[in-house]
Amino acid sequence: MKTQILISIGREHGSGGHVIAQMIAERLNIRLYDKEILEEIVNSSGYSRELVAKMDEKPVNLFSSRRIGGFSNSLEFNVAEKTFEFIQSQADSGESFVIVGRCAEQVLRGNPNYLRFFIRGEMHDKIRRVAANDRVSEKDAVQLIRETDRRRKAYHNYYCDCKWGDARGYDLTVNSDRLGIPQTVEVLVQYIRAFMEQ
Amino acid sequence: MIEMTAQILSIIIFVGMFLMIILDKFERHMVTLVSGALVLLVVFGVCMDSADAGRALQETLNVHSVFTAGFWYGESSENTSGINWSTLIFIAGMMVMVAGLGTAGFFRWLCLSLAKLVRYHVVPLLVCFMCMSAILSMFIDSITVVLFLTTVTLELARILEFNPLPMVISEIFCANLGGAATMCGDPPNIIIGTSLGYTFWDFIVNTGEIIAICFVAAALYFWLCFRKELHAQELARSGDVVCPLPSSAITNKKAFCGGTAVFLIAVALLVTHAQTKLSVASIGVIVTALTLLSTALTTDRKTVREVLRSIDYKTLLFFLGLFVSVGGLEQTGVLDLIAGFITRISGGSVTAIVVIILWLSGIASAFIDNIPFAATLIPVIHTIAATQGINLHVLAWALSLGTDLGGNATPIGASANVVGTSVSAKGGYPIGWGGYCRYCVPATILVMAISTVCLFIRYL
Repeated sequence: MKTQILISIGREHGSGGHVIAQMIAERLNIRLYDKEILEEIVNSSGYSRELVAKMDEKPVNLFSSRRIGGFSNSLEFNVAEKTFEFIQSQADSGESFVIVGRCAEQVLRGNPNYLRFFIRGEMHDKIRRVAANDRVSEKDAVQLIRETDRRRKAYHNYYCDCKWGDARGYDLTVNSDRLGIPQTVEVLVQYIRAFMEQ
Repeated sequence: MIEMTAQILSIIIFVGMFLMIILDKFERHMVTLVSGALVLLVVFGVCMDSADAGRALQETLNVHSVFTAGFWYGESSENTSGINWSTLIFIAGMMVMVAGLGTAGFFRWLCLSLAKLVRYHVVPLLVCFMCMSAILSMFIDSITVVLFLTTVTLELARILEFNPLPMVISEIFCANLGGAATMCGDPPNIIIGTSLGYTFWDFIVNTGEIIAICFVAAALYFWLCFRKELHAQELARSGDVVCPLPSSAITNKKAFCGGTAVFLIAVALLVTHAQTKLSVASIGVIVTALTLLSTALTTDRKTVREVLRSIDYKTLLFFLGLFVSVGGLEQTGVLDLIAGFITRISGGSVTAIVVIILWLSGIASAFIDNIPFAATLIPVIHTIAATQGINLHVLAWALSLGTDLGGNATPIGASANVVGTSVSAKGGYPIGWGGYCRYCVPATILVMAISTVCLFIRYL
C-alpha cells in the first residue's frame, strides 16, 4: 500500500475540473492545490501576491521574452519556475496532494506515486456551468471557454513534453458530463484506491 | 531567374531562422544548424550551377583558412565571408578561462573585496560595482560578469538590507558598455574585429574612447537615479551587519592564483596582440592550454573535466550555423542589395549612412539578438565602404556601438540582460519590462546620442 499519492488534474474550462479535484481531495483526506498554491508561492519566492496572481498559468509572451539556457527574462517563466519548484518540494517532502493544472504532469513525471487525469466536458454543459459560475451570458461563456483553454494550452505546451489534452500524456481522460460530477469522482477515487493498493 | 530564386530562398531561410529562434520551440543551435544545412543543400546545391556552388561552399565553410599561417600569426587581415573560425576558437578559449576563474572563486572574491573596501556603504558600492562590471566585461564575456555580479549583489542585498534591483540594472547596463569598448568583450565586437582585421588596440582607441565617455554619463545617470533610495535604505538598516570575508570565496588558493595568473596573461596577450602578431585564435588556444594546465596542477581530474565541460558547444554550434546562414545571403548577393538600398536611401551621404548604421543597429538590437544582426551587417558595410569610397572604420565603429549599446534598452536586447534579470528573479527580485525600461531606455538614448556626436566630431 502506497503511503503517498500525488494526483494532477488537467481540465478544460467549465468541465468541473476544480470541483472534481476538491471532492477527490476531501474523499482521500489530502491537500488540494489550485488557487491555494498562489499563497504558498508568494511565501516561498518572495514575489508579491499581485505578481504571482497575474502570472499564474500565464503563457510566456514569445516576442517579449528570451531564453538563454535556463535563464529567462520572462516573469511568466520565473513564476512558473517557482511554482514547479514548490510542487517538486512538496512531492519530495512525502506529502500527498491533488494539484490542478500548473504543468504538474511535467514536474512529477517519473514519480512512482503519481497519477495524471484530464477532465473534459460537453460544450453545452461547459457553457451552462461557466455562465452560472461567472454570471455571464452564454455567448460570453463560449468566448471565455475558448480563451481560457487557449491560454492553458499555450502555457502547458510551452513547458510540457506531452500536449495539453492528448490522452497519451495522462493515465485517464474522462468526460465529466457522461456520468455527472459525483459519479465521475467516484470512478476516479476507485481508480486511485486501486493504484494505491498495488 | 535562378539567381533570384537563390536570393529568395536564402532570405526565406534566414527569416525563418529568426522566427524559429523567437518562437523558442527548438534550441537555437539546432535552428541555425538546420538553416545552415538548408543553405548548403538547397541554395548552393540546387539553385546554383556547380562552379558557383563549389566556390560558394568553399568560401562559406572557410575551412582552408584554419590551415594557413596567417590564421594563427601575422598581421590581422579581413575575412568577411563564411564561418568565422577565429571567433569560434577564441570564444571557446575564453569559456575555458572563465570556468577556471569561476571554480577558483575569483569573481566572488573580487566582489566581496570591493564591498569590504567601501566598508559596505551602499552608494559607493553601486559605483564600484558599475566600474567593475564595465572593466571586467572588457575582457570577459558580459554574461559571465553579470551572472557572478548579480549573484553576489543579491547576497549582499540580503545582508545589508537594501533593494538590489537598482544595482542589478546598473550592473547589466555597464557590462554591456564595457563589452562595447574592446574586441573581446561582446560577441558582435569579436566578429567585427576578426572579420575586418581590427586589433584589440584599434577598438580601445576608437570605440573604447567613446565608451569611456558613455560610461561616465551612464554612471552619473544611475547614481542620480538611485543614490537617494539606496542611501535611505542604508540609514534604515537595523544594526550591525556581518558580511562574508573575501577570503571565504577562495575555495582553493593555488587554483585561485593559477586562474588569476592565466587571466592576467590573457589580458596581456590581448592588449599586445597587434605587436606580438598573435591572432585571437592563437590566444584562445594558448589561454585554453594554460587554464587546463593550471587546473590540472592545482586541483584534481574531476575539476579539469568540469572546466572542459564548460565549453558551451551549443553556443559554438549556434555561431557555426549562423555564419553559414549569413553566408547564404552573402553568396546570393542579398547583402549587396541591402547595401545598395542603404546607399540609395541615404543619397550617398556619409553622414546619413553612419547615422543609419548606428541607429538602425541600435533599435534592432533592442529587440532582436545583436549577434546575427552584426554578422549580417558586416558584409553590408564592407560593400558600402567599397562602392561609396567611405572609410570602412567609421562604419565598423558605428555598427559596433549600435549593436552593443542598443541592446541595453530592453530586457531582451542582450544576453547579459536576460541572464541578469533571470538571476535576480530567481533570487526573489523580479524585474519586468516596465521596471527595466524606465531606467534603461533613457540611459540607452543618452549613450547612443553621445556615440552619434562622438562619431561626428571624430570621423565626419
